[in-house]
Amino acid sequence: MKASIQAVTLWGKHSPTHSISAILITEDQRTIVTGSQEGTLCLWNLSPELKISSKQILLGHTASVTCLAKARDFEKQPYVASATENGEMCIWNVTSGQCVEYTQLPFRHTAICYYHSSFRMTGDGWLLCCGQYNDVLLIDAKTLTVLHALTSSQSSNWISCMCLVHSPRIQEDSLIAVSASGDLKVWDLSSSVSRIQEKQCVAERESKSLGCASCHTVRFCTYTGRLLLVVLPSCWKVYDYCDFSLLWTESSPSGQYWAGGEVLAAHRLVLWTEAGQGYIYQLLNSGLSWSKQPSDGRVLKETVYPVLLCSTAVGCNKSFSYVMGFMNERKEPFYKILYSGDASGRITVWHIPDVPVSTLDGSPKEIPIAASWTLQDHFDAHGSVAEGILGHLCVAGQGGSCALSISIYIPSLDKLVCGCEDGRVFIVPALQALKTRLLEDTSLLKDTLPHRILTGHSSRVTALLYLRGWSARFDPSWLVSGSQDSYVIWWDMFTGEILHQFSLQAGPVTDLLLSSDNYRFKGQRIVCCLCSDHSVALLHLQERACILHARKHLFPVRMLRWHPLENLLIVLCENDSVSVWDIETGILERHETGEVAKAVLAGCEDSPLSMEDSLLPIFEDDAHKQRGAGGPPSSSSKLGPLSYSTLAHHKKSSCRLSSICSAQWPFTILPVKTEWENRNFHILLFDLENLTELLLSSQLGGLKSSNSLHSYDALERARSSAEKGTLLLRRNKTAGTLSLFHGPGEEHSFGDSPVAAAGCLEQSGGLKRQKKAKSSKKTKRQLSGKVNVNLVTGAANLLLTCLWPWGVDRESDHLCVQYLGISRLLWPVSFGLVSEEKHFSLMLPGWSHANSALWDQHNQPVNMFSSKVLDLRNKYLSVAKEPAGKPGGRSKNTGAPEGPPTLISLLNRICLVKKIISMPLERSTPQKVESVRNKWRANQAVESTSFYEESSEGTFGVPVHDSENVSLVKLISCWRDQSIELQPLWSSVTALCPLKTSLQERVRLSRTSWKSQITEMRRSHILGWPRCVPVKCVSRQYSFSSKTRR
Amino acid sequence: MRMAALASAAERAVLEEEFKWLLQEEVHAVLRQLQDILKEASHRFALPVSGSEGPIKQENFILGTANADQVKGVLMLQGDTLCQADINLKMPRNNQLLHFAFRDDKQWKLQQIQDARNHVNQAIYLLTNRGTNYQFKTGCEVLKLMDAVMLQLTRARNRLTTPATLTLPEIASSSLTKMFTPALPSDTLMNFYINLNKLCLTVYQLHSLQPSSTKNFRPAGGSILHNPGAMFEYGNQRYEVSHVHKVECVVPWLNDALVFFTVSLQLCQQLKDKIAVFSGYWNYRLY
Repeated sequence: MKASIQAVTLWGKHSPTHSISAILITEDQRTIVTGSQEGTLCLWNLSPELKISSKQILLGHTASVTCLAKARDFEKQPYVASATENGEMCIWNVTSGQCVEYTQLPFRHTAICYYHSSFRMTGDGWLLCCGQYNDVLLIDAKTLTVLHALTSSQSSNWISCMCLVHSPRIQEDSLIAVSASGDLKVWDLSSSVSRIQEKQCVAERESKSLGCASCHTVRFCTYTGRLLLVVLPSCWKVYDYCDFSLLWTESSPSGQYWAGGEVLAAHRLVLWTEAGQGYIYQLLNSGLSWSKQPSDGRVLKETVYPVLLCSTAVGCNKSFSYVMGFMNERKEPFYKILYSGDASGRITVWHIPDVPVSTLDGSPKEIPIAASWTLQDHFDAHGSVAEGILGHLCVAGQGGSCALSISIYIPSLDKLVCGCEDGRVFIVPALQALKTRLLEDTSLLKDTLPHRILTGHSSRVTALLYLRGWSARFDPSWLVSGSQDSYVIWWDMFTGEILHQFSLQAGPVTDLLLSSDNYRFKGQRIVCCLCSDHSVALLHLQERACILHARKHLFPVRMLRWHPLENLLIVLCENDSVSVWDIETGILERHETGEVAKAVLAGCEDSPLSMEDSLLPIFEDDAHKQRGAGGPPSSSSKLGPLSYSTLAHHKKSSCRLSSICSAQWPFTILPVKTEWENRNFHILLFDLENLTELLLSSQLGGLKSSNSLHSYDALERARSSAEKGTLLLRRNKTAGTLSLFHGPGEEHSFGDSPVAAAGCLEQSGGLKRQKKAKSSKKTKRQLSGKVNVNLVTGAANLLLTCLWPWGVDRESDHLCVQYLGISRLLWPVSFGLVSEEKHFSLMLPGWSHANSALWDQHNQPVNMFSSKVLDLRNKYLSVAKEPAGKPGGRSKNTGAPEGPPTLISLLNRICLVKKIISMPLERSTPQKVESVRNKWRANQAVESTSFYEESSEGTFGVPVHDSENVSLVKLISCWRDQSIELQPLWSSVTALCPLKTSLQERVRLSRTSWKSQITEMRRSHILGWPRCVPVKCVSRQYSFSSKTRR
Repeated sequence: MRMAALASAAERAVLEEEFKWLLQEEVHAVLRQLQDILKEASHRFALPVSGSEGPIKQENFILGTANADQVKGVLMLQGDTLCQADINLKMPRNNQLLHFAFRDDKQWKLQQIQDARNHVNQAIYLLTNRGTNYQFKTGCEVLKLMDAVMLQLTRARNRLTTPATLTLPEIASSSLTKMFTPALPSDTLMNFYINLNKLCLTVYQLHSLQPSSTKNFRPAGGSILHNPGAMFEYGNQRYEVSHVHKVECVVPWLNDALVFFTVSLQLCQQLKDKIAVFSGYWNYRLY
């Protein structure tokens, strides 16, 4: 993932599903972190008054989150570690939402404890992990690599729970753990630090069988230093830590099971059940007991017995599978908080009184719920802001509401195709749809958004496939859609005509795929249709026939493979069985399981199996899943939409961000769909570097055909369409069956079709047609180039609009609207932050409401990120000490045609800032700041010469810009050191851009000098990249460009 | 066919009734059946749960192949541990017969069995929490439960069906080589594992490569079973595998356990399918 990508999220009316599977309150009691079965994390603000509000959603995991733990000393770095069912681990910065570190290990963790001993060890501490493997692993909290393991000398087994204990008496930290077979084990930590660092074997100090399997929690009472609480589903027990003698066993309330517990204070415990109810017990000391064990002959023992003091109130919204935790107060203003999250995504918080008491008559007192909140509550509260991408279309009165069920984005056409609950398929030009959705703009009346509705399905549309996106051999107008009632329709998108309708009678269509590149049936790649009765139908579009319907699978299909030589389809099911189908005859040739199945899979084309041999077997099944995910799209992947995750990761799947090829396009819409409920949202991805590059080249593109990226793909398109034309012709000759091809879809592919230009609503669609109508390659290229330029500038405008700090400076707002051609936002957009390795953090709608009272004051859209923006801006102004004076005065001279260059410079500026910010934070430790700055200054020299140097003899302009940029860089790195949240920075810098504009206008250039300068800029710009872009990005960029060139 | 859109009100009422029955009756019936099967499977593993079940049964297995008598082994399996082993090895060079046994103080744990058993127990635990008096409110809840159970069962099964892929240096450095009396000669490696329902023993005969050897040295990667000719470096010495002997023996209760896993996985999937049928009739959120 490139650093220069800016994400903006368009939420729907419904929140994404978030079935909480892990929950944590940070030590400052400001943030609640939850992990979900869908693999997302959510950050919630907890106010000092115990009010909860949702803040951010973090995407990146591909499987259910199993545990969360702090990963640093929280006062220094607000980092939280998360681990998932398939062995992924992430470290997140919970203030900014960035993913700091990421890894995938062949271990499934179920609990993590953070351990750091500042005077014994260097580095950032260890994550002590336990899970579905033997004993305890030590993982470096910074790099997430396995450092060492704590081993057992006897009865080694999985560890089901553990806790860290610090004993002040002997200054020893130890780890108490209970294994799956019920053995209590104690490892010394602080005295083993050196042994661990030397990689010596560290065995347990004590091991004792408690005789109770499936233990949930073990806690040590630090107040008394003696009691040990062990929680089992059926009962909880208190042991004396000195000799491990059992002091008390309390069984669970009838019909309930204990899930966990914590020590509240000396002799006071809080316990909670699976059903999400908490109980507080007082352990009463009955003194020394003579009577209990008279025959024992041992020393007289202290005995305890519990009294139930309080229980928590339960909300009216009952759900299932609760996860709970308890947070003790640490400092004065903090509370004792009992918190829970459940499968419906609800967070409930109870404030436990400092001294819990029972009611006067001795019956337990009820502790009221202090706060309760769900994501959906949040969405409801900010309903006006959260509206789906097609919201306006429904409002426009197309007959009832239409909830989106699936959508795909076609970048080459800039079209968004949306399937609805009621069976309609909307096709809208994406940028325009976004503009009407986001901007207050009178010129774009909402009713007149050009769109096309395909009607044909009578129930929910469940799958969409745009063939051209996968193979250039298909006609760009072809679209295939599948529905709930098992119909698959082949459309001509441009005319809305149904080319053919397949009725499968096999339950809802779950997915549509294209056969792999090297498998063709009668010269064509075929469409594979996965149905919910686990069958696979192979559809040959051109022949309008279903050539194979492979039923009989007992489990959902995970992967399809092809054997082109023998004409075989190999189906891998969820239970790892493999069915081999003969496509020609439709006969099930083989059904294999186990090793043979693996061998069969390995034997067929481009199987990635061999590459993953090194994986431990414990990880094997998940490796399969990964493979599955990579499987079908990789066979012909050009732009893998997210919905593919449903195939591979049938269960937890959700917000998987598979192969985002946004690098290819400066602007992409990424539909995200959750599995069980139809809740969609879209992420807009703007690639800044790409955008600026394309804008620059588009300046030239108008005059001569340049070698820039966009004209590359224009070329490619032109070439491929020409190729396809000949191909079709050839096929016609050989097949000699013209009757097969006289559907309207085919007519388009022949350039001279008279149908082409007639009666189409869509602009770009029309352009396409015109393009096709011309036979000359040259005109094709130019036309398509123009389409692309529109797209690029449109995207750039939209991005600027989103980033612009509306309402901060009215004058510059006005200027923007007037000269840049951008318009005001309807409401603040929800930004997303992209960190390395496809990790996203998405702001939730209404996140800015909390701190922008301005919204109400001005009664107009304000894009305030926080009040800090103003401060920062003022700071900047004072630092920069611009002699230029008021920006407004200058801009009066601005000629309108200067719009695009200004746009470019703004984007460049944003790009630069983004890059500075995305430099790893670690580098900016006080000692290094100076060097970083120097470095940036050096980079800046490159940047500024490439971007801002007006001409070779522009001696007047250069120094001004240079100094300005240097100060800007200084300032930004300053802010970065203070670890201010990233978003305000962004906007504040854009707020400064008017200054920039005015400066550029000062050295006014004629149109011609601009041209020459742009050429130069482009050259230096490209040359300059390797020095400013992190190496990874560069290589990716180059590999990409080589791809397009091919 | 277009049922969802056209279903009449009466039809819908019937469907809803049917769905209610599914959630209240059928789901519990399936869960009970699942629980029975899995408990049965768990019994097969015969591991001590809390020490209360008395001594664990010991079983003897004779490993050998019909046509060759290079390697013969008698192994005593107690739950997940090999507590005794007697292995007879006929050296290929001189037909000398060697005998090895576990030292008295040593046992070898088959991690695959322990892991599989742990996974089954987790699955059982997931099911016990949803007893007959538990009310399922939504189909989604059942689906999630089934997913969790199936995940554990798949892992249990995969643990038995896919032995660890080890590299030769890993085998050489494993503590298994130091467990025998008399000590294994340095040119012999051994490995125990479970493959499906079989207890397997592989013996590798090595010959060391001279540093001056002209042979192209290419260390072998990880594998379940290495072939003759595989090369590796261990302790600054290069070796090549000259002979591989694999002997195995069916463990009947592992076979049972695998069958139980397969059956219960199918039960789970069928229940999921039953629930999924209703998704066609109304929105997911309803159930």
